[in-house]
Amino acid sequence: MATRAAAEMPASVPPLSDERQVAWPKRIKARLANGLAVVLVESHTIPKFHGELFLRLGNAAASHHAPGLAEMTATVVRTGTAKRPSRQIEEDLRRLGADLSSHAGADNSAIAFAGLSELAEPLLELVSELAREAAFPEPEFERERRQRLEEVKLDRTQPGFLASERLRKVLFGAHPYAHVAPTEEQVAAYKLGDLLSVYRDFYTPENAMVLMVGDFDSAAMLKTIEKVFGAWTGKKPAIPAAPEPVKPSGRRVHLVHVPGAVQAQILAGCHAITRKHPDWIKLALTNSLYGGAFNSRLVMNIREDKGYTYSPRSSVNPLRQYGYFSISAAVRNDVVAASLTEIFYELDKLRALPVPEPELADARNYVSGVFSLGLATQDGLLSQLATVALNDLPDDYLETYREKVRILTPDDLLSTARKYFDSANMQIIVVGDRTQIEPQAALFGDLDVYDAHGKRLN
Amino acid sequence: MKISIETKTLANGLKVVIAPDTTAPVVTVGVYYKIGFRLEPRGRSGFAHLFEHMMFQGSANAPKMQHIKLINSSGGTLNGSTHYDVTNYFESVPSNALERVLWLEADRMRALKVDDENLRNQRDVVKEEVRVNVLNQPYGGFPWLDLPPVAFRNWANAHNFYGDFADLDSASLADVQSFFKTYYAPNNAVLLILGDVKPDEGIALAQKYFGDIPACAEPPFADPREPEQTEERRGEVEEKFGTLPALAIGYTVPPRRTTDWCAIALLDQALHGGRAGRMYRHLVLEKQVAVEVDGGIEDIFGYNGPTQMVTKILHKPEFTSDATLAEFDSVICDIQQDGITQDELVQLKVKFRSDYYSTLEGGHGGMPRYGLMHLLACFSLFDNEPQLVNTVLDGFLAVKREDIQAVAKKYLRNDKRAIVFRRPANAQAQEAA
Repeated sequence: MATRAAAEMPASVPPLSDERQVAWPKRIKARLANGLAVVLVESHTIPKFHGELFLRLGNAAASHHAPGLAEMTATVVRTGTAKRPSRQIEEDLRRLGADLSSHAGADNSAIAFAGLSELAEPLLELVSELAREAAFPEPEFERERRQRLEEVKLDRTQPGFLASERLRKVLFGAHPYAHVAPTEEQVAAYKLGDLLSVYRDFYTPENAMVLMVGDFDSAAMLKTIEKVFGAWTGKKPAIPAAPEPVKPSGRRVHLVHVPGAVQAQILAGCHAITRKHPDWIKLALTNSLYGGAFNSRLVMNIREDKGYTYSPRSSVNPLRQYGYFSISAAVRNDVVAASLTEIFYELDKLRALPVPEPELADARNYVSGVFSLGLATQDGLLSQLATVALNDLPDDYLETYREKVRILTPDDLLSTARKYFDSANMQIIVVGDRTQIEPQAALFGDLDVYDAHGKRLN
Repeated sequence: MKISIETKTLANGLKVVIAPDTTAPVVTVGVYYKIGFRLEPRGRSGFAHLFEHMMFQGSANAPKMQHIKLINSSGGTLNGSTHYDVTNYFESVPSNALERVLWLEADRMRALKVDDENLRNQRDVVKEEVRVNVLNQPYGGFPWLDLPPVAFRNWANAHNFYGDFADLDSASLADVQSFFKTYYAPNNAVLLILGDVKPDEGIALAQKYFGDIPACAEPPFADPREPEQTEERRGEVEEKFGTLPALAIGYTVPPRRTTDWCAIALLDQALHGGRAGRMYRHLVLEKQVAVEVDGGIEDIFGYNGPTQMVTKILHKPEFTSDATLAEFDSVICDIQQDGITQDELVQLKVKFRSDYYSTLEGGHGGMPRYGLMHLLACFSLFDNEPQLVNTVLDGFLAVKREDIQAVAKKYLRNDKRAIVFRRPANAQAQEAA
């Protein structure tokens, strides 16, 4: 039983053989005359391709209209264009063997698509039509709004949603990042005119980037993209600055009361850094060792040793302007205090003691290895390229990533943990039935209690 | 697209399938055992899944923690999952760790070494898994745990696959060892190596690490056949958290690898293929009765007994479940009476082919070729014919319009279906508030 003194490797385990180098796929990076950025990578695993048209603004930049408005805009984008009504769009996609989704997060809006290589051009034409000539039919807008109303009600019945909603509010206060979803009232007040103005401002070539990975010839695909998107026009919009969030100070507990819950969802978090920050890779490795991998200290402790939870994990969450670190675990009601104790024990231990070199070597191998696995499928590669492009990371970022992981030392991890695992100011969210868990939660800081709709109860 | 495959059956009965592809220096390894939910012993509901957890708890030469540690520290990820008719264990690693992965899988095929403390620990973990996925989630287990007890009469098909907590509590270490001895034998398994490996090397390594594991007696198999269904079956489940009423309708589908099966797969695509599918279009876009509609034949290549095509509907509270069901029925009725158009059939086939390619490449939590592995494994264990990955698509692309209408009439009948209604407990309280 050894979470704290990991067993030695058995003698009969075969050693690792020499690593084969990654053959980096052919890549083209270009910018059309209208400002549209293009990244193309060949990957011939299957006769298909995956692509994404990013508009580099999302819900945060639309928040002066209402929370979630970029998402609503993206939803209605696919419901009709000047040339095709909703039903034809859906049937044409099927005819092309394609999948398409239009969505928006805090920082970006996007049209993601995948289809058969032999039918690439007509799919790109449809994507272009959605980006340039969406018609925003009034009945479709009304229907989607009504739909969204039911969805936001449903969200409030999910412990994971309630936890992340509360954490974002606590961490980001007056900044638009505080809102992960609109309220029912806000959805009810959505106006078609606001969607149109978000569409006009965000969906422009100067604000856009198209990424494609797949079974195509990249020089020929670039010509197709020029042909399809070349005549698109529009400037990058100016977006008003958002207020800087005030970092919460002192550990505090925020309990979201769900009567009858048979488990408690814990989510603790603190401010951290963005993807562009020079400490990013150090933090990613430190996180992986703490709770980002199956083999991590947190999982070994509260799952494999104690059996408190099925799915503990920690993660680093980079948004464009700010980032945060979080730890989550759904635990049984009678071990809320015990779980939090172990969560903080492992955090504080990483802040106090250097990581033993063999454990660090294992973690370096893990982070570097899963990075390679992520390059082996079209959509995996696409998501890595999107990270680089959307965060304006250097061109050799992917090629040099593993090397940057390999040079990290126990001292790097110690200083990273001290800097970003802000144990003293960690905000603790617990979603569950207060009658089962409140006294345990209160042991960890001043306690506020809310209902599922955000109303203060204490 | 043609997948290159090498196969070999070792003297102890272990099937080995190699699918080489050297474009990236990564390899995915899977071991599939022909044992799933259906075959777990009576009084031990949930045991196949609990047992899957135990396979990570230690083997003769790799004690607890080592399985996970060895894979993660080699730069790889691992997991396992329990299905109706198979249980799988799989790893994706940089290809320089291939031998290590094979050693580990062989070690736990040869001898599981676990104790009571491991069992208690994983029983606790599994209970939290059930809480997080079912008991504390809106629509948890809907409809995959709700429908089988209503639809089926044979315990093998109808029981609670995640397990009653009382059954999980009564599972003993003796049960674990006996289950292992009965089902976890090389002659009841297939080993798959996909990606950066040369076929002859892969087969030599399989022989080196697995070759001396002794075969066992052929495991007994529960008969999963169902008595003929002659009446519509209905059930109700209370929805504790969710705000919307829901229903799920399941029709038992024809046996796999028949012409009817190919036709019903395309019928499934016509009904449930996303926003172009007839169900979504009618219930969500046109009639606006429902908020969510999806469904279909889940994992169509991955089962080996009775299974259903299921439509799952969350509908607006202002419509009754009868009114919602009537709209559902009108979609079924329409396709039975008029069939589909030639243009629709063309679209369905293009989409089916495109989806099939994605399945083959498919990641599963970042594991390349998970889908190809799954198909090769199921075609090996159920059909002894892994090469089916290269030919199975032909049957679907040969389906004709009249085939689709015929299977709609033959299988989508009220007396062949089961319906579960999931009713929100607090609906009235909410209406009143």
